[in-house]
Amino acid sequence: MPPIVEIQNYTWRYLHADVPALQDINLTIEEGSFVGVIGPNGSGKTTLAYSLNGLIPGQYQGIKEGTVKIAGTEVESYRPGELPQMVGVVFSDPEAQFTAMTVEDELVFGMENLGLSIPEIRERLEWVTDLTQLKPLLEKPPYEISGGQKQRVALAAVLAMMPRVMVLDEPTSMLDPMSRKRVFDVLARLKRESHNTIIVIEHNLENLVPLADRMILLHNSRMALSDGTEAFFRQVDTLTEAGVYPPGGIAFFHALMKHGAFAGELPLTLDAAVARLEGLMSHE
Amino acid sequence: MNKTLLGYVPDRSPIYAIHPFVKLFFLLVVSLFPLFIAAPEWNFGLIIFVLLLMWYSRINMGIMRIYVPVAISMASIIFLAYVILGGYHPEYAQIGQLLAIRVYWERIRDAIVVYFRILPMIVMMVFFLNTSRERDVIVAMRTLRIPFVITYVFAMALRSAGMVIEDFGIVRQAEQARGFDTHGKSLPYRLRKYVMYMIPLFALSLRRAEEFSNALIARGFAFTGPASKIKRADFILTHYHFRRLDALLTAIIGLAFVALLVLRYGFGWFTLSRSVFLPWLETLLRHR
Repeated sequence: MPPIVEIQNYTWRYLHADVPALQDINLTIEEGSFVGVIGPNGSGKTTLAYSLNGLIPGQYQGIKEGTVKIAGTEVESYRPGELPQMVGVVFSDPEAQFTAMTVEDELVFGMENLGLSIPEIRERLEWVTDLTQLKPLLEKPPYEISGGQKQRVALAAVLAMMPRVMVLDEPTSMLDPMSRKRVFDVLARLKRESHNTIIVIEHNLENLVPLADRMILLHNSRMALSDGTEAFFRQVDTLTEAGVYPPGGIAFFHALMKHGAFAGELPLTLDAAVARLEGLMSHE
Repeated sequence: MNKTLLGYVPDRSPIYAIHPFVKLFFLLVVSLFPLFIAAPEWNFGLIIFVLLLMWYSRINMGIMRIYVPVAISMASIIFLAYVILGGYHPEYAQIGQLLAIRVYWERIRDAIVVYFRILPMIVMMVFFLNTSRERDVIVAMRTLRIPFVITYVFAMALRSAGMVIEDFGIVRQAEQARGFDTHGKSLPYRLRKYVMYMIPLFALSLRRAEEFSNALIARGFAFTGPASKIKRADFILTHYHFRRLDALLTAIIGLAFVALLVLRYGFGWFTLSRSVFLPWLETLLRHR
């Protein structure tokens, strides 16, 4: 797959800030891949998301070095309103991103901005409400539904615009475990059924790890680690140094590995961990 | 129940049969009626008519109770301004004395006329806000082909009012949790300390504005360039159909306005001299 995101020697420092929010970032993301971005607070994750959809440098003042290209074009070179067709961003606070009075209007707003016709809007609306199970909520005001539903609305509003790259900035940080799962269920279905490039910035690894093809660790404004998901979690020492703790199953098998009790691929899901453990026990 | 701008309307209400444009047209045109009607009994009749419409629309009439203090305050202020502080003219007829203040019939009459001109407008607005959602306002404005930016800013202003009230609640709770509470304190004290709420509320509003503008850009809304000139599909209008009944009601409202103007300026109707109520009241007051 060709790269859809190309970041080279990228450094961004907000105006009046002493240190850069992102420093020396070199990153290439292939189209259609599912990438997880993790890191402690203040490591530059949101700045990375804003850099991808042009909010940085468009909406924020600061000093930029290096390049951020989407589909081979520098983000600043896109004309106003063009980049959201390429990169869609879902923010962490769902309520802060609502722009309309009903769920349906919210989903339609972005499509109308793209200049879609009524039949096209109707078709996409049908698809996206089916995917995110929002049909019963279409008539409701988005600020009167539950937190999980709000985040699904925000996700659906971006999905309806069919961007080639979707960036989700801590989409489940304000949600309960059940709502988190439903958001990730949508992402899992999206991964199976579409060719979108999905970049998820998340603290909650339990749901993210099983879906991610690749993981990136940001630490102290730099890209501390980037690898395929399984290889990424083999480097547990680097992760814990950065304050990131792998899911329990992975940590357990990593400990077994350290003690020489296990060799092989780390299980990335709970089910895989159980199966692996059963295999180990029956072997003994 | 469906939430409206000021309250709730039952799922089954005849008001849903009416296109939002007709409701807005009714508000804008019928609100002008009192400006051309001086005789208070006609304006009182207009109030009764709008209240009957509210009842017919199945609005919970109990909500009108909250407007009673507003109506009383307004009456007091107008009475004070006209009757007590209204001054006098040599031609005015004194009908009594209130302590050291002379009370003239003309000032009482003017106070009543003004009051009954304002009151129907308020009742009309209450009716509109109780039967319309933000969405209805957008649909009505877009039906009139008002530019999207103006419609959108208007709609967002309606929404942001609700958001500011919510934020105010959050700030107040946060400050109460830190031991700052004006509950039970005197009004001057509360007014003085109000700034304690206003500063964080202002800071929150700035953050909201930043988040909101980010959201608009992320949804592909452009303020400049070719993307800002894209013809919008107005998908929202596909849910509403301007039916024969709507056309009929629009025509009736328009014709009623024309009839009002003809009767007022052609035949002298609705003027003070044609009022039945005012001479009766004058006689009553003079005899006392």
